[in-house]
Amino acid sequence: MIRRASRRIRRVVGRSRRVARRARLVARVARWEASRAAGGVDRRTLLTALALLVVAGGVLSAGVATDVVGLDVERDVYRVGVDPGSPYADAVEADPALTAVPVERATLGSTADLIVRGVRADDGGDPAGVVVRAVDTPKGEAAAASFREAVEAHNERLMRAESNGTAAFPVAVTLRYASRGSALDDGATVGGTSDPSDGGTDGAGTEDADGTASDDGSSDSGAVEESGSDGDDDSSVDGNDGSVGDGDGDDGGDGDGGYGDDGAGGDGGDGASDDGASDDGGDGDGGDGDSWAVGNDGGSVSLAVPSLGGGAFGADSTGSPGSITPPFPFASLVLAFAFLVPMNFLAQAYGSSVLDERTNRRGEPLLVTPLSPTEIVAGKTLPYVAVAVAVTALIAVVVGSGPVSVLAVLPIALTFLGATFVGAVFARSFKELTFVTVAVSVLLTSYAFVPAIFTNVTPVALISPLTLVVFDLQNEPVSVGEFLFATGPTTATAVLCFGLGLGVYREEDLFTQKPVTRKFLDALAVRLATVGEGVRESPQTGITARVPGRVRGLVAVAFLTACTIPFVFVAELLTVAVLFALPITVSVPALLIVIAFVEELAKSVHLYAGFERGVLARTDRVAVAVGLASGFGFFLAEKATAVVQAVGLTELYVGRAAFGSVAGVSGLPPLVLVGLFLAPLALHGATASLSAVGARRDRTYYALALVAGTLLHAAYNVGVVSLHG
Amino acid sequence: MIAVAGLEKTYGGFSAVVDSTFSVAEGEVFGIVGPNGAGKTTTLKVLAGLLEPTAGSARVAGYDSTDPAMRHHLGFLPEESPLYEEMTANSYLRFFADLYEVPRSVADERIERALDRLDLDHRDRRLGDVSKGMKRKVAIARSLVNDPDVLVYDEPASGLDPVTTNSVLEFTRELRGAGKTVVFSAHNLYHVESVCDRVVIMNEGRIVARGTVDEIRRRHGETTYHVYTDVRPAIDAKAGDGDTADVEVADVGDSEAVGDRYRTVVPSMDAVDRVRTAVTDAGGTVVDIRTREPSLEDVFLDLVGRPMPGRRGGAGTEEDDRRDRPGTETGEGAE
Repeated sequence: MIRRASRRIRRVVGRSRRVARRARLVARVARWEASRAAGGVDRRTLLTALALLVVAGGVLSAGVATDVVGLDVERDVYRVGVDPGSPYADAVEADPALTAVPVERATLGSTADLIVRGVRADDGGDPAGVVVRAVDTPKGEAAAASFREAVEAHNERLMRAESNGTAAFPVAVTLRYASRGSALDDGATVGGTSDPSDGGTDGAGTEDADGTASDDGSSDSGAVEESGSDGDDDSSVDGNDGSVGDGDGDDGGDGDGGYGDDGAGGDGGDGASDDGASDDGGDGDGGDGDSWAVGNDGGSVSLAVPSLGGGAFGADSTGSPGSITPPFPFASLVLAFAFLVPMNFLAQAYGSSVLDERTNRRGEPLLVTPLSPTEIVAGKTLPYVAVAVAVTALIAVVVGSGPVSVLAVLPIALTFLGATFVGAVFARSFKELTFVTVAVSVLLTSYAFVPAIFTNVTPVALISPLTLVVFDLQNEPVSVGEFLFATGPTTATAVLCFGLGLGVYREEDLFTQKPVTRKFLDALAVRLATVGEGVRESPQTGITARVPGRVRGLVAVAFLTACTIPFVFVAELLTVAVLFALPITVSVPALLIVIAFVEELAKSVHLYAGFERGVLARTDRVAVAVGLASGFGFFLAEKATAVVQAVGLTELYVGRAAFGSVAGVSGLPPLVLVGLFLAPLALHGATASLSAVGARRDRTYYALALVAGTLLHAAYNVGVVSLHG
Repeated sequence: MIAVAGLEKTYGGFSAVVDSTFSVAEGEVFGIVGPNGAGKTTTLKVLAGLLEPTAGSARVAGYDSTDPAMRHHLGFLPEESPLYEEMTANSYLRFFADLYEVPRSVADERIERALDRLDLDHRDRRLGDVSKGMKRKVAIARSLVNDPDVLVYDEPASGLDPVTTNSVLEFTRELRGAGKTVVFSAHNLYHVESVCDRVVIMNEGRIVARGTVDEIRRRHGETTYHVYTDVRPAIDAKAGDGDTADVEVADVGDSEAVGDRYRTVVPSMDAVDRVRTAVTDAGGTVVDIRTREPSLEDVFLDLVGRPMPGRRGGAGTEEDDRRDRPGTETGEGAE
């Protein structure tokens, strides 16, 4: 017993030592690669790049230190005259586009673009509201728009800080019954607004105080515009009489469902114009400008919302670009994009280094050393991974994101490097490598960036790890499931890319001018084990080496098929992302065919390689056997795609179409469920065997069989989609 | 030390090496010669573990050639030796010594010794800035950093100037003296003859001759006799008094002018006698008779049917004249 334990310990220690020794060798190659890569750049270029980096870093650091980093191109653009004691002063202070100027020193048009002046009640007592006057120029309009947004944002912050959430964000529900298919007579949409901000600024979809807001079917705010209060001024007044959300109507509370229990209710209807400070609207301090009044509730601190614009995409929106709030997380996206930029340069440098090894057989002596190809490639890749991590961490610090961003970007970096590695191993010249690196850059940048645009719109966005960065930048939490979903396929793709490239990281492929297609087939065939009589047996490595000889070939086929799943998954997700914007009548049929083709190709291309390279015996019996093995491997791996449910992708119609086998099965009888579970196995086995029988003959037969398999598979997909509704 | 049995290597449908079998003893220098595409480099790369045999086996230093452990016992010099040009000779060799896990002090000593022996100057200059001969020497030094038992050199003197070539060949002889087993290929048959203990000649992937250079010469070559006369035997015989000499001389080959003499190459002493008779009958004189043993190149030409790359082929060239050795019958015909 003791002896056995001691033997085991010795084995473990021995193995650890071996691993440490190999790690040292890999590190040695990495050190060499790093010094080589650094030595490849001439000193002047290096110094220039360093100088630029220092300058950029200095600027960014200074920006971070002074809190001016960001997209605030309109910082301090508008000067607002406001009493420092006014509650509006806080709103102005909080908005970077606005600069507060003491109201007594503010002169419209010269020292201020906009003035906010308190208005006293007739008895000269407490403030009854404010009058806002802006210069009658486009800049004045823009300043007014910015001020409006600043107040809205300020109100939002106050409401969010309110401990009584129900009071802060009351929900108004209006029930209207309509027969199916009939249009509402006023053109309003069915259902009220659920977004508090809509309620706060908008009267759409609600019954307002006097019926004017919704009766005209507009989505305009209930704010009232009053013009010409003093000659050349336009004035608009947003009234407030202190009642909860009502203007002067009967039930103004319905009018907005907005903020608070006071002034915000003024949006409710147009009756507000009749009271509050509206009468004083024209009593501004003269000059050219627009003015409007904002109510105040009986002297209490009341931040009425001067909702005049109707929102970012409102009918009469005016103002600066800064007033536009796109539905996309624009700022976060731009910052997230910064993470992708260095990857392109890294991929370029890495690809050149790999191809440089192949030029004039420079790397041949390395292949004769005791290092395995995997260790050589690991050593060569490590410095680039390290640089990717370092640069990503630096960018994360600068843009203010956290470790999630770094962890999310790492798979992207690995995929960039993996795809470039495959390209560099397959390319026959630097000219081809240039094409490869450009293609990799464009495709992967698109794959990472485009879905992230829809971060706040659809779960499809999670196919990109960059979406996690956007979440991180928005300080939104990321669940483990979401993280794995977003990074899993990318990571697996990177690993498989390296695996594919390593298959041909050998003398006879590295230093020859084989066409890419032949190298690709070589890379696949080298991972297979022999099946059938009369084929050459070669030494097995990796997982298949542990499998008994009789089934080794079939296991290798199934395993290789399963390895294609990340590619299949990514291709299908990309297809979903591309097609989901199209009409369903177009997108779903196209999706079903494309997905069928992708899956059939994944199940059969390595079988074709096996027959072509003589690893698989060219008999129908062997073809059917490897076809069934391939189908089985695909079936098992496909079940892993059930993870799409975790992130709600199957809520999309195209998501259900793409991942139908894992979606929408609840509620079906057990027998049907078993049938549905096993049906894909039968399908994959049959179609893969069909393709394999074609592949064992020649390329033409393989192509024809692949088309037939695709059509069969597409027909099956149609059935599944029909069944799932 | 090396045992190759039934080795085959195919690339797609092309057979580069077919059923190749040979062995190399410890401390032996073994040459592989053959024209381009004969399978020499493929055979060497299989020995170096760079290529996996399609069939058969190759064992080096007791290991299968595909076994990574074998590489600790092997030094390989490829036909071309492009180096990492941004490195210096010292840093380059240390890097490879590290990969072979040679302790730093041992590596330093080995590198120093190899560089000294190979007269390598400019050890701290970037390899991109040194001459081709220097680069070749660095590559040879690299093959020695792990103190291997077996050295596989592919065209070690290819493209080098005569001085450097001699230096490399001399170094190869020294390696044999140090007990190393060396397998190398060469286009220049003189290099093979001057260094190798045993040789195989390959053609179209197959071994067509094997043994020591002398054995191969004896087995596959023929001794010839060069008869130098002051008249052209056949022509003069024709112009003279009969057809006898013309017919008999024509049987043994045409004569050709070499300076102010005529040379007739014949395969046997009988033929020599016939030429002598014909010439004498024509009123001429046999000036000289020389015996010529076949060179490896002659054997090569016979076996392969084409000249070595970069060499002028065919018998009777000036080069042949230089290599003619004085025959046992020298002066015999000087009558």
